[in-house]
Amino acid sequence: MPTIAGPSLSPHKRIVAARSENTGCPRSAEDITPRKRKLRSDSAAAVPTPIKRKSPRRCALMAEVEEEPNGMLETQFDCLDGKSKWNPRDDDQMKAVKEALHVSTAPSTVVCREDEQRRALEFVKGCMEQNKAGSLYICGCPGTGKSLSMEKLRLQAEDWAKQEGLPCLETVSVNCMSLTKTTDIFSKVRPCAIQIPPSSWLIIADEMDYLITRDRRVLHELFMLTTLPLSRCILIGVANAIDLADRFLPKLKSLNCKPLVVTFRAYSMQQIVRILQERLVELPYVAFQPKALELCARKVSAASGDMRKALSVCRSALEILETEVKGSTDEEPQIPVPEDQMVKMDHMVAALAKTFKSPVVDTIQSLPQHQQIIVCSAAKAFRGSKKDRTTAELNNLYMEICKSSMITPAGITEFTNMCTVLNDQGILKLSQARNDKLKRVSLRVDEADITFALKEIRFFRNCLL
Amino acid sequence: MKSFSRQILTMGNENPAEKALNLIRGRLCDPTFVFRPLSASSDSNYSKLKFIVSTSVTEGCNNSILLLGPRGSGKAAVLDLVVGDLMEEYPDSVTLISLNGLLHSEDNCAFKEIARQLCMEHHLLFSKMASFDENSQFIIAMLRECGLAHKTIIFVLDEFDMFAQASYSRGKQRLLYSLLDAMQSVTSQAVVVGISSRLDADQLLEKRVRSRFSHRKILFLPPSREEIDSLLEHLLSLPADSSFPSGYVSQFNEKIKNITSDTRFKDMLKTFLNANSTVNSLLKFIFRAVSSMNLESGLLSLENFKTALSSMQRQPKLEAVRADCSILELYLLVCMRRLEVKEQSSYNFISVMKEYKTIHDSFQTSDFYAQNVCLRAFEHLREREVICYAENRGQSQAGEYRSMKLLISASELHQGMRSHACCPAILLKLLDH
Repeated sequence: MPTIAGPSLSPHKRIVAARSENTGCPRSAEDITPRKRKLRSDSAAAVPTPIKRKSPRRCALMAEVEEEPNGMLETQFDCLDGKSKWNPRDDDQMKAVKEALHVSTAPSTVVCREDEQRRALEFVKGCMEQNKAGSLYICGCPGTGKSLSMEKLRLQAEDWAKQEGLPCLETVSVNCMSLTKTTDIFSKVRPCAIQIPPSSWLIIADEMDYLITRDRRVLHELFMLTTLPLSRCILIGVANAIDLADRFLPKLKSLNCKPLVVTFRAYSMQQIVRILQERLVELPYVAFQPKALELCARKVSAASGDMRKALSVCRSALEILETEVKGSTDEEPQIPVPEDQMVKMDHMVAALAKTFKSPVVDTIQSLPQHQQIIVCSAAKAFRGSKKDRTTAELNNLYMEICKSSMITPAGITEFTNMCTVLNDQGILKLSQARNDKLKRVSLRVDEADITFALKEIRFFRNCLL
Repeated sequence: MKSFSRQILTMGNENPAEKALNLIRGRLCDPTFVFRPLSASSDSNYSKLKFIVSTSVTEGCNNSILLLGPRGSGKAAVLDLVVGDLMEEYPDSVTLISLNGLLHSEDNCAFKEIARQLCMEHHLLFSKMASFDENSQFIIAMLRECGLAHKTIIFVLDEFDMFAQASYSRGKQRLLYSLLDAMQSVTSQAVVVGISSRLDADQLLEKRVRSRFSHRKILFLPPSREEIDSLLEHLLSLPADSSFPSGYVSQFNEKIKNITSDTRFKDMLKTFLNANSTVNSLLKFIFRAVSSMNLESGLLSLENFKTALSSMQRQPKLEAVRADCSILELYLLVCMRRLEVKEQSSYNFISVMKEYKTIHDSFQTSDFYAQNVCLRAFEHLREREVICYAENRGQSQAGEYRSMKLLISASELHQGMRSHACCPAILLKLLDH
């Protein structure tokens, strides 16, 4: 079982103590769970749970996620009732919820990444104990907790070194995006290299793919720091590409210093729900309906599994609730705060629509008529295999459509202007050409989007048949 | 004209019509005045934007937002309104840093500009010799300081898509990454507002940068008919204060009401909006109409709007044909068109003359001129850019042998000829075949 020696646990102990007095959850729950936990850890749990329990409520939450028998569920509902009602009109409370869900608020423990953190920490510990060098490559999509985990890892490794009485671990954390030249990274790690007495040093290189140059010299040299004799450098590289090591560093394989790869997979629905609940559990009130959180997690995990997006959607839903609540106060301040005001499904649905909807359909629907005709004629023109045409050809099509509906077509100058406006907006794509009429036009938007946007108007519907 | 009216002013007897004109024109050029009533409703883009930015200012949570919409729809104007209001409400708590994608898309340039503006805001000395590293360290330090002092920095990135597409950064998008990454840290208190006319501006971002962007978008759509009506009233009604003679004010406003409720005006407005429906183009239209106001009567009329519309929807080549061409030139144009219709890919003056002769022979027209006269007519058409040489090569050849092409489309030619003062009927018939 991992021993997560985190320095940040002490403030939470105080909160836990305070809350257990507040909520008045039956203490017996705590007695029941340790035994159950041991059973769970015997079977191959998909998500290993940390030993350190924060509160009876948290274990109840995890119970909900892992489908415990009914006994636990009852306890969980008791705990939920125990929380006070949230008043969204109170600015402080709203602010607290928003802060809990902000991306910049680093959570105290990184949940759902225990496995990856454990592997990385074991690797680092192994290197430090045996006084040798090593390299580790962390990869994964953006928003999967890589940088966050590495920060925690750094602190844990430093603490562990202190505990074990090993010489102090020097760490350097570099974001390769901020380097002017790729070779600057060496000047940043130089202070660590020169130490007497020599001790292990840890380099964390974030966004490592920015060090890739055509001859890959910098990247090779960085990894080769670990192969030098008497080197005690532990290099951790973080990037998005899964096969960076294979693609860009074939030489390393021959030198036998291929880095260990730890992949941070995109979050699944359960993981996102768990992380969100973890952030919200410290608040003394319930701000989100559980089903709303589940919906958000489902949608985000299906799209990208990016945690930042999930947090952004939740905050957006909070803001929708806030405007709703504030709007009603402006009209009639006498109405008391309705019970159970929290972020519900419809707020979450609206927030998801706002985040995931593309503005193309709305824009096409609100274009002026002539521009809509141009878009429609472009949709018709590019149906077949031909993917681009000249402005003059498009103009002919445009005039045909105008004639068929008795609308006076705009002149060629006006037409070219309108095409330029549509190009600016990203609906059409105009190439450069000396002569206005010879510019090549192609469509940037899906034809399906255009058909959907214009389906209300019968004229366009018939036109696009 | 200006000094004359100043003289009248000193005499205390300024023409009220001129005053009204100046007032209205001043209003049309002031985006704050124009967009203030559009922002009054709680559902408008102004309120949405203000809500997001003000929560960042008051609560210290970082945010990023993108304003999208066609050019001239008021994105920068509404942002200016919001920032102006916030600066009044929370003095000394808001710092504004503006960057433009056309000028500052290169990273070094952008960081330098940010450092320079920060120095100006906080009365520090800025050194032009500072390197990129120094600038970026300064910016990070300033962000931290402002975060501690609870001052919000609002970064406005105009032409946001240019920042994402900068070719010399080789796809690095370093500035965007640094700014949006700073939003993720708890020490800084800032808002990043991007303004772009490209609807897919956030798709242009690299996936790392896009993950850090908070996906909030505010779409600026063209105003609805009710909004346009109320906007017209707001812009064109004179205020009932003492600087204008009271009878004049009520007369003026009455006339405006009559015009705007006239169906002809509504049709005209509809024709105009069918081509271009942004607020900016509407303002230009009204400006031209108001500028052609009759200063004697001091009142606007429907004619003003008609002239404005026709001046905005010009077809220069059509006018060249209609107003300027002689009959011989029309003949030449018709011949060229007929050659085009006959699928002759390239033709020159000699072939046009042949066609001209053929027409003369078959229809016995009275207008048959000698070659040198026709050549002069040809040159005149070329000067007016109704026709031109098809290629730039072969400049050593004599003008008669170089291939030519028409710069005017068939329909425009047709329209121009029909509205010509004395175009012979036979020409129209020839054009149709």
